[in-house]
Amino acid sequence: MTNPIPDLAKSKCIFIIGSNFAENHPIAARWILDAKEQGAKIIVADPRYTPTAWTADIFLQHKPGTDIALINGMLHTIIKEKLHDKNFVKERTIGFDQIKALAAKYDAHTVEKITGVRSSLLQEAARLYAKAESAAIVYCMGITQHTCGHGNVVSCANLALICGNIGRPGTGVLPLRGQDNVQGACDMGGLPTVLPGYARVDDEAVRQRIAALWGKEELPKEPGLTVVEMTNAAAEGKIKAMYIMGENPMVSDPNTKHVRQALDKLDFLVVQDIFFTETAELADVVLPGACWAEKEGTVTATSRSVQWRAKAIPPPGEAKADLDIICNIANRLGFKFNYQNADEVLREINLAVPSYAGITPERVKEKVGGLTWPCPTDDHPGTPILHSETFATVERLGKFIPVEHQPPFEVTDNEYPLLLTTGRVVMHYNTGSMTRRSSSLLKRSPELFVEVNQADAEKLGISADEEVKISTRRGDTIAKTTITNRVPPGVVFMPFHFSGTNALVVEALDEKAKVPEFKVAACKIAKGK
Amino acid sequence: MRKVIFMDLNRCIYCRSCEVACEREHNGRSFMSVLLLDERHPVPMNCRHCEKSPCVAVCPTRALVRIENGPVIIETMKCIGCSLCAMVCPFGILELDYLNKVMRKCDLCIHRLNEGKLPACVSSCPARALTYDEFDTIMRRIKEKAAKAIISGVGLEPGIVISPPES
Repeated sequence: MTNPIPDLAKSKCIFIIGSNFAENHPIAARWILDAKEQGAKIIVADPRYTPTAWTADIFLQHKPGTDIALINGMLHTIIKEKLHDKNFVKERTIGFDQIKALAAKYDAHTVEKITGVRSSLLQEAARLYAKAESAAIVYCMGITQHTCGHGNVVSCANLALICGNIGRPGTGVLPLRGQDNVQGACDMGGLPTVLPGYARVDDEAVRQRIAALWGKEELPKEPGLTVVEMTNAAAEGKIKAMYIMGENPMVSDPNTKHVRQALDKLDFLVVQDIFFTETAELADVVLPGACWAEKEGTVTATSRSVQWRAKAIPPPGEAKADLDIICNIANRLGFKFNYQNADEVLREINLAVPSYAGITPERVKEKVGGLTWPCPTDDHPGTPILHSETFATVERLGKFIPVEHQPPFEVTDNEYPLLLTTGRVVMHYNTGSMTRRSSSLLKRSPELFVEVNQADAEKLGISADEEVKISTRRGDTIAKTTITNRVPPGVVFMPFHFSGTNALVVEALDEKAKVPEFKVAACKIAKGK
Repeated sequence: MRKVIFMDLNRCIYCRSCEVACEREHNGRSFMSVLLLDERHPVPMNCRHCEKSPCVAVCPTRALVRIENGPVIIETMKCIGCSLCAMVCPFGILELDYLNKVMRKCDLCIHRLNEGKLPACVSSCPARALTYDEFDTIMRRIKEKAAKAIISGVGLEPGIVISPPES
């Protein structure tokens, strides 16, 4: 995220695409509504008319999986009407000619045909975004969880660059991340291609630096596997044992039947969680972890701010802080993990991750709201806004990368005529392993449902609150209907907080990011069980 | 002057945090309900603690009372659960607690107010659609907002802005 979330209040135009922040990041609504009250224009692009779309001055209801075409269509209007920031493009970017050639192909007629969005409305949105003195882009999983997810993200960056909407208050590209420390997990090397601080495993120099810090001769130079790749490798018998922490793939991963087969095939499965999840049911050993109030350490928020979280209460029963569990296991495996507390871990992070070097335990415990990386030295104030002068490329310039529209992995046909898109509801969090245990939340959203448009419901002869069977090439699921105009005809929506939804979803991956296409699958709906 | 809870209907995003917070403060019973009309208009409904409270006026056992400069509350030991208050409430706010055979309603989180805290619904509203303040202070704030809009010529939209999805 290039700018802090409260910065959105200073924006004159906010373009929200593939994010239902009103339900999934409701706190962000505070500053978006503040901006709107001060006259900012809000553009929301989403296949569903969500509570987020209620905030919109312009609502673009595009077909699932057509984000690139939609954004390229905006680029087309902006370039054609010469609304781009010529100075910024000249001084701070490279590759404008390529983007110009790309945009030329996405004329009003072509884009309307792909996206289903009326071209005059899209043109109006493009003008609003381009003409605003400061405009921000907010996106979320609606952008990333596609086989073209990587291209979707690049398209958002192209749009921000061409209008010079980066590096200033009220501008930027703001992907809203899903958990309080998912940014921190990535920063720490919780990805298969990198070591802490995004040090690429195939980069000899940085690998040696981390190896020296850890007192090792050498570290593996081959990238590991991503989540879905691990499942596939387990199914093929290439992975024999798995240690799953705070993750519930039996509900969260695509194609549940395949996940089940893969986990069953393992010789040994350890699951560490605060609750006995659907995945824990398959484990040989379950290690009870501690929840956020029962452990201490830093968390890095979506805005890159690193904050200290103190321990409020001890973990209940046999539960232990994750740090204790990991150190115990590591020591029994013959490593020397002699961390006495989270302070000592942060001191190692200060050495391992250059952008965290100045975020010491002393400083971060004192600073309410935390310190935002990059914070390379002890006296550095942190960097809430990125790219204000240069970009982190070889040329120090923002690089335009042309991306073409590509259809989703699965498209509708006679057998599977409906598009299934998945997402979240306000009452539940991820796989519901926590929220489905809260009676207050569960009674407001008690079970799996499928949103079906009025017109489709009439065609299928189904009514509200009726149990129907939703089928894809992966499997079937029973869910209750919600008949609504929130989804357009031809599109159905299901939340993934309950078992069943991801039994339907396709495990096709984005080539680069390896993220599965949770947002588009072809399905059919039949009456009854 | 007594303080009231005010709602900005344009800011409510139907997250229902207020309901859940109320439930947490009142032993699993929420006195706030957000109604969603036409899949588009969320309306948070809670006790208005009316200046001329019909519920207080009709209560035969004087169980319903107004705390001076504060909320209308039910002294449950006096309540007989006759529901007369429910009949005269224009907003359908009163609830019958079948287990304890008494009426229940919003008490503005008086236990929290006594500790200098905000009512739970207000403090948990992520969108800042709910505010708790003196009536005149809130009106002043709305006036200032409108005045600013007049000066800048932007943001002054009539009432609730309805932008229905395209068909």
